[in-house]
Amino acid sequence: MTEVSERRPLEILKRYDALLYPLVFISLLLVAWEVSVDAFKIPAYMLPAPSDVLDAMDSDLLNHTWVTLQETLWGFLIANIAGFFVAVMFVHFRPVELGLFPVAIALKTTPLVALAPLLVVWLGTGMASKIAASALICFFPVLINSVKGLRSIDAESDELFRTYQASRQEIFWKLRLPASLPYVMSALKISSSLAVVGAIVGEFVGANAGLGYVVLVSSYHLDTDVMFSAIFAAAFIGLAFFWILEAIDRRFIFWQQEGAD
Amino acid sequence: MQSTATLVSAESPGGNALAGNPLLTLQNCSLTLNDTHILRNIELDIRQGEFVSIIGPSGCGKSTTLRLMLELLKPDAGGRSGAGQVTFPKVKPRRGMAFQKPVLMPWLTIRGNVELSLSLGPQKTPQSLRRGKAEAALELVGLLSYANYYPKQLSGGMQQRVALARTLAAEPELLLMDEPFGALDEMTRNTLNLELLKLWENRANGLKSIVMVTHSLHEAVSLSDRVVVLSSRPAGIRSIIDVPLPKPRSAGFVSVEETPLYQQTIARLRRELQSDD
Repeated sequence: MTEVSERRPLEILKRYDALLYPLVFISLLLVAWEVSVDAFKIPAYMLPAPSDVLDAMDSDLLNHTWVTLQETLWGFLIANIAGFFVAVMFVHFRPVELGLFPVAIALKTTPLVALAPLLVVWLGTGMASKIAASALICFFPVLINSVKGLRSIDAESDELFRTYQASRQEIFWKLRLPASLPYVMSALKISSSLAVVGAIVGEFVGANAGLGYVVLVSSYHLDTDVMFSAIFAAAFIGLAFFWILEAIDRRFIFWQQEGAD
Repeated sequence: MQSTATLVSAESPGGNALAGNPLLTLQNCSLTLNDTHILRNIELDIRQGEFVSIIGPSGCGKSTTLRLMLELLKPDAGGRSGAGQVTFPKVKPRRGMAFQKPVLMPWLTIRGNVELSLSLGPQKTPQSLRRGKAEAALELVGLLSYANYYPKQLSGGMQQRVALARTLAAEPELLLMDEPFGALDEMTRNTLNLELLKLWENRANGLKSIVMVTHSLHEAVSLSDRVVVLSSRPAGIRSIIDVPLPKPRSAGFVSVEETPLYQQTIARLRRELQSDD
């Protein structure tokens, strides 16, 4: 108990470390990049200087980022709700698991890139096809982790609940669900980065907005600075998303033991 | 079930002194799980007011016997000598189980964990009373000041006391314990045994009887009134030994170990355990 309070200042220091070190390194990298582009006269269509990339970040890019962000969030949300729901079905109804698990595996092994054109045919070039692509790529890891989490209760906990003649609902809400949260949280983190991938792959195939669209179009025109600005924006979405989830994880899943993945 | 219940109570007719009436009876209980014959023809009365220990070789079926008493498992319906039964007096006693591991929910506070036993099943306590009962139970095991901590922050011995508080909070009449202190170091274990003995002697929270599975002969002798010795698997009852030590025991908890009677009982149990089938 004293241990907890003694460790706190150290952890705060560590948290600053976690921010400080990457910032310093990234800054150094950017400076080196800027200087070497200038010094070696690297043509802008090959590698634009960071300052040029910064210039290319205009309100247009913001709009495209907003589109990709929405697709990502919707895909993520749908995949997680659906994935968790199917996981609950799997755990409670064995036939559902036996019947659907091979389908889920098949879905996972089919490359998303191969499915994306089909999604565009079905859902058009608007946001819907990207949301679907994003949801598809997220679905499997969410499903697997949720099933694992919902099954992670030990025999004694189960017996404890049965000793008090707990109902199925009570076992679910008071045991299975909380026990699964660390696993579900890991699933959210994994799928957060996958969701961005799904949205951008969807945009590559057929779109008129979004970061994937910007990357594609700027590659045709060799607007490499614009391309870089879109790549950075995509990376930023993924990173910010992951960080937010990580923060939620640390704040609310405080009991988490190592090993959930 | 009803007919046997009346039969049981007819054995010891009326009167105020309920002590001695069976609280639970295992009749001819055999158990086969996945083709493994685990228990054979267990006949055992758990009477009101007694502390019974069950000892026997590792893996013989001691814990399984407790699970029969909890009705988590059912005895075989048709053996060579007919169906086994677990019978009770007219009203089934409330039963509580303490496991070898504390089995605390890491996401609940200590208070929340104790309240858990009050918030499950058809006999759950009304919400408004849970907190008070949980805190009273924590008081019993001396951990009230830790009510807002989380299990991770407590030592193994403290966690096991929380588990005991959780069980006691539901006011069990029959307390079943499956090597509750088996995973703890010997000093902690001794402390907890003495605490348990005091709770028992005070009949804390309406306790009527305790059945404890243990590996420790000392634990069995210093705590119980009777010790049931099981044989190796398929386990049957080899013998039931009365512990002739005076009661209450908590006062002379340590010194009693030096008495000849104590030593003789230990020796007798050891002989029983070694005489193989």
